[in-house]
Amino acid sequence: MERRRSFPDVLAGGVFVLIGGAFVAGSLGYELGTPLRMGPGAFPLLVGAILAALGLAIVVKGLVAGEMISFGPIPWRAIGVIVLAVVFFGFTVRGLGFVPTSAVTALLTTLASSRVRPLTAVAVAAGLTVASTLIFVVGLQLRIPLWGPWLGF
Amino acid sequence: MELLDNLALGFSTALLVQNVLYCFVGVLLGTAVGVLPGIGPTATVAMLLPITFSFEPVTALIMLAGIYYGAQYGGSTTAILINLPGESSAAVTALDGHVMARQGRAGAALAAAAVGSFIAGTVATVALAVAAPPLARVALEFGPAEYFSLVLLGLIVSIALARGSALKALAMIALGVLLGTVGQDIYTGTPRFVFEQRELYGGIDFVSVAVGMFGVAEILRNLENEQTRTAIVSKVKNLWPTREDRRRIVGPIARGTGLGAALGVLPGGGHVLASFTSYAVEKRISKRKEEFGNGAIEGVAGPESANNAAAQTSFIPLLTLGLPAHPVMALMVGAFIVHGITPGPNVITDEPELFWGLIASMWIGNVLLVLLNLPLIGVWVRMLRIPYQVLFPMIILFAAIGTYSLSFNAYDVYAIVFFGILGYILIKCGCEPAPLLLGFVLGPLVEENLRRALIISRGDASVFLTRPISAVLLALAAAALVIAVLPAIRKRREVVFAEDE
Amino acid sequence: MRPTSRYRAAARMIAAIGVVSLAAACSGNGGTTGGGDAGGGYPDQNITIVVPFSAGGPTDTVTRLIAEPMAAKLGAQVVVQNVEGAGGTVGAGEVARAEPDGYTVLMHHIGMSTAPALYQDLGFAPLENFQTIGLVTEVPMTIVARKDFAPATLQDLVAHVKANADTVTLANAGIGAASHLCGLLFQTAAGVKLQEVPYEGTGPALTDLVGGQVDFMCDQTTNTSGQISAGEVKAYAVTTPERVKSLPDLPTTAEAGLPQLEVSVWHGLYVPTGTPQDVVQKLSEALKVALADQKVIDQMAKLGTAPVPAEDATPQAHRTKLEEQLGTWAKVIADAGVKAS
Repeated sequence: MERRRSFPDVLAGGVFVLIGGAFVAGSLGYELGTPLRMGPGAFPLLVGAILAALGLAIVVKGLVAGEMISFGPIPWRAIGVIVLAVVFFGFTVRGLGFVPTSAVTALLTTLASSRVRPLTAVAVAAGLTVASTLIFVVGLQLRIPLWGPWLGF
Repeated sequence: MELLDNLALGFSTALLVQNVLYCFVGVLLGTAVGVLPGIGPTATVAMLLPITFSFEPVTALIMLAGIYYGAQYGGSTTAILINLPGESSAAVTALDGHVMARQGRAGAALAAAAVGSFIAGTVATVALAVAAPPLARVALEFGPAEYFSLVLLGLIVSIALARGSALKALAMIALGVLLGTVGQDIYTGTPRFVFEQRELYGGIDFVSVAVGMFGVAEILRNLENEQTRTAIVSKVKNLWPTREDRRRIVGPIARGTGLGAALGVLPGGGHVLASFTSYAVEKRISKRKEEFGNGAIEGVAGPESANNAAAQTSFIPLLTLGLPAHPVMALMVGAFIVHGITPGPNVITDEPELFWGLIASMWIGNVLLVLLNLPLIGVWVRMLRIPYQVLFPMIILFAAIGTYSLSFNAYDVYAIVFFGILGYILIKCGCEPAPLLLGFVLGPLVEENLRRALIISRGDASVFLTRPISAVLLALAAAALVIAVLPAIRKRREVVFAEDE
Repeated sequence: MRPTSRYRAAARMIAAIGVVSLAAACSGNGGTTGGGDAGGGYPDQNITIVVPFSAGGPTDTVTRLIAEPMAAKLGAQVVVQNVEGAGGTVGAGEVARAEPDGYTVLMHHIGMSTAPALYQDLGFAPLENFQTIGLVTEVPMTIVARKDFAPATLQDLVAHVKANADTVTLANAGIGAASHLCGLLFQTAAGVKLQEVPYEGTGPALTDLVGGQVDFMCDQTTNTSGQISAGEVKAYAVTTPERVKSLPDLPTTAEAGLPQLEVSVWHGLYVPTGTPQDVVQKLSEALKVALADQKVIDQMAKLGTAPVPAEDATPQAHRTKLEEQLGTWAKVIADAGVKAS
């Protein structure tokens, strides 16, 4: 019988083992209490261990009889740009204010697509900034200043 | 008959011009914020609460309630169209609803959701009028032990949400439960897994997880084949459900309504269980199990009905006992107080106009929602024709703004990308995000009620078995686990045999 | 599909959103503009009052009540912003680090005086990092039990919990919540250590009390008076020196024989240290005007409370109260061995 190795299964299992293990390690730093009077660490320790065990089972299964899933290409450009755009938003929205932050975030995000033309990107970013200002600030009365203190006024 | 007199009083109050108007404003706003990712009904009610100070109390409450159930409606629209659930219930709708949208059947999915919700809302309103006080008494029988068993049952049932391997679904549930432990432990105040960041003390927000796991991950997947694939959505086939569709949604709507109405009454988290319990039930009894997850209209109609019925009956503890079951209800308690009405069991007798007027307005609100949403389906379906290069930046930007607006906490925004990438990797590996989301929502309830039950019983674990409701629920949970795992074992054996040959 | 029709579809969609947001704008005109005495520099822009708790809660409601008359007096928009988290310490920390220009104001309650004892690495010190503006209101609390709980009076309750310390359960709404603090003070006053059952907020705690799952708790009158008058819970006493108007038959803790148990959820306004004195004075004046507003008095009465007397709505009186409370709670919390982090 030929073994079917499945890279996605092993990767997923690995992620689960890693995260489960990290939570287990973290839980040990908190008070565990007794089985019947649990401390803050007990529940995450238990669930973390279950997750790690399930992850291990998935790895083993992936090595023996894995699911055949095509992993496909990875859109590195999109990942990088979207991460940058969202982190930029979180980092600057208070300092720069709603309008500049939204505009830059929208512009960066449009660049995630490799097929976008520069002019389209600018037009989309401008349109989205206007639309989101109208919806969130004018319409829903969101309490974010339009222009932030970093801009000096 | 007393009930008819009461309903007559209710409708005469709810049909006053200003009450119908503000009911409409409420459901319209609710739909709008439900459609927008991030901003949810809680934030909207909080923002609008001060404006209602100047209204008549009944008008204010009619509008606030309208926002709540209107948002339940709107949330399913975004889930179906762009796979972005705003609440845990909508995550279930996204499973089959978004697949239907990609198959060009968005109109049918939206119509099934709207009609299902309307029927469920109507039935639940009747339930509210006829049986609110006794139902509330039943709800009070649920203590921590019962909630623990109920939520455990819910977690096991949610394995059914996954199409693929039960093992991976279980792992995703466990991961969700773990993520739910981030933040301050309510029993000791110990901050857990917060990396010394005070902003994380309140835990990770559901919206960030949902937007990341569904919205961002989906966008990344769509962008990976950009060069080779053009159309993400196939051509819109028909705007309305076919005769076959209509036949198929009758049963799910009826069952979803019953389930949702029953679960919604429980203040300790019953309403979050409604939609996916309905999904699990439909999947189990369906003769076409393989269609679930691949665009089964039953998977939209059932959960949507359950969700809307639960949204309606979750007002029962609030109206009959003054006990809020949901953050929106807690805000409505604030509205009661500001208007000089002491929330509590006396509201029915002291303020009959308010009580019956609010109930009647819910039915009117449901009519308004259908009138509002059915014509909008055409508009929403056209939205799918927006070029993807415009649509995905819009989703990302709105998601960032929406999650930031939750509590003006930048960590909620950073969490989107974290969960986006985690979700992307896991989805690529054949894991599905819906069980994770439900684990995330239910996990804290499991831990909270487990520990609370043990504190109250002084560490005597037998409470889970000696309390009858809890024991029955645990037995059901055990049965559900066996049913979920058995076919997998049987199938595995078949696979093994097949390979041996 | 031709590109033009695509964009037309997009335009229609945006128009639809526009209509919706217009409707929102019409109903959502949340800011309060004042037209009172402007001039003299401050204020020339919006003032933000940070509420470190969720919208719709008692503290938020009180803030929104006084925001409008304060705005009218100051002649500027007053915006209420909720910055929740970690028992109010996230919002407070944010204001402590804000520019001391009087445009960022903090509304905080009794939690300001308990935070240093509850939290390590708080990131701010109440007396050093904040300038007090004035007290706002003191909300009384009530001791309530499930309706079939045996003790009939407060003294019976004390005797009962002492005799059954290992079976009685005391609910609270979470670490550092007013109900938790009041419960600690009760245990100190009664000289007993009880099993506490924390909940996430008052709603679920009260639900389980009404359902008979837990024995008793102590919470703000705002939350309990409806259940008390309906007979869903049994009430023993109110924790202030005077009886509450909405519950005239309920004795005070002093009358019922437990005078050591005196606690109220007091609220006050703060600005960061370093704010100019004339700005502090202007804010304090505006607060006084707001507290004398008949509408505010009426609304607070409905909440089961009242504005503090004018002499307490001053920076000095507020600071004295804060200093006294910091001392009280440091001891109670240390004795109970409670830590939030």
